[in-house]
Amino acid sequence: MAGFPAVIEEPDEPPFSADWEAHVFALNGALIKRGVYNLDEFRDAQERLPVQQFLAASYYERWFAAISTLLAEKGVADAAELELPDEH
Amino acid sequence: MSDNHGSSVISARVRHVEALLEARGLLDAGEIDTRIDEFLAGGTPANGARIVARAWVDAGFTDRLLADANAAIREVGLSMAGGLQEQRLKVVANTAEGHNVVVCTLCSCYPIALLGPSPSWYKSEAYRSRVVRDPRGVLAEFGLQLPAGTSIAVWDASAESRYLVLPRRPEGTPGLTEEALAGLVTRKGLIGTAAV
Amino acid sequence: MSTDRVSTDRVSADRFTPGARVRTRSTDPAGHTRLPRYARGAVGVLVELAGRHPLADDRARGATGEAQPVWHVRFAAADLFGTGDHTVTVELWQDYLTPVEDA
Repeated sequence: MAGFPAVIEEPDEPPFSADWEAHVFALNGALIKRGVYNLDEFRDAQERLPVQQFLAASYYERWFAAISTLLAEKGVADAAELELPDEH
Repeated sequence: MSDNHGSSVISARVRHVEALLEARGLLDAGEIDTRIDEFLAGGTPANGARIVARAWVDAGFTDRLLADANAAIREVGLSMAGGLQEQRLKVVANTAEGHNVVVCTLCSCYPIALLGPSPSWYKSEAYRSRVVRDPRGVLAEFGLQLPAGTSIAVWDASAESRYLVLPRRPEGTPGLTEEALAGLVTRKGLIGTAAV
Repeated sequence: MSTDRVSTDRVSADRFTPGARVRTRSTDPAGHTRLPRYARGAVGVLVELAGRHPLADDRARGATGEAQPVWHVRFAAADLFGTGDHTVTVELWQDYLTPVEDA
């Protein structure tokens, strides 16, 4: 893709910009280690996100969306169970 | 970047999923916090800097590093074994004739077990798309102007290998200790978006 | 190589040697692949064998196949993008590559 602006560098940025991002990072590692899914399935799940969602989401939002997709596809939980109770 | 409301929603969603998985026996209590702590305590660019400093003072180590980096880094007490699997480490050396820069165009693969988390710019669509097409331009944006005669090799971490750039030792550093030399090496230098 | 993960007995043979010229697959795959779009249908030179691993495309479907060679393939920027004096080296599974006969 062309037309991207200059690369922006944040000085002294922390590894995660919010606690939930660190949790998503660790959650992915835990689920892969347990064999719920593998790393390639995780990458594939990100690539299968609807393009609008993919482009609008931040890096770790995409990770969490992919994890949720896989948990539903692998039968760990259904989509409704993965949502917050008041999102029903 | 999420606003505060967005952050609190996704934060709640993540906690909800963690609780669900714990209830289903797919996560142990405290497992997430332990993983985060181990990750943050593990890799750091200082590791890469140590490898570079050793290479600068020891030509035999440099040879071994370029031939089999996974084995060589064990000589300085480091290892690629800290992640999900041990990945092959490929070290690429900058020379007067050639400069190296690393990217993962397909996602954001990076030697996190060795160097810790990657910077946001490395993960950005802008970097990943542009550095393969116009590395000289991207490096110039980072303030790195290479002489016209210096060729650039871009390495795309598309499969299982992870890459580390071995920068050139700066001029005027003959008397420095290995520790002081390591202090000169930056994360950008290890990725290739700085000279050192 | 100390970090090879090789499934016993069933390992795909090396189809190439370093220095060989290869062309990458042009087809648009149905699912996940690790051949970057910018490197599709391009001619490059094999630099070195980088390990042996089951194909990522299969693993992404939950089906792990035989380990096969993974190669570092070097492309001239001009051949990939029509412009540029740099090279791009990409790590590619053998299944993505076909040999190019020297003219």
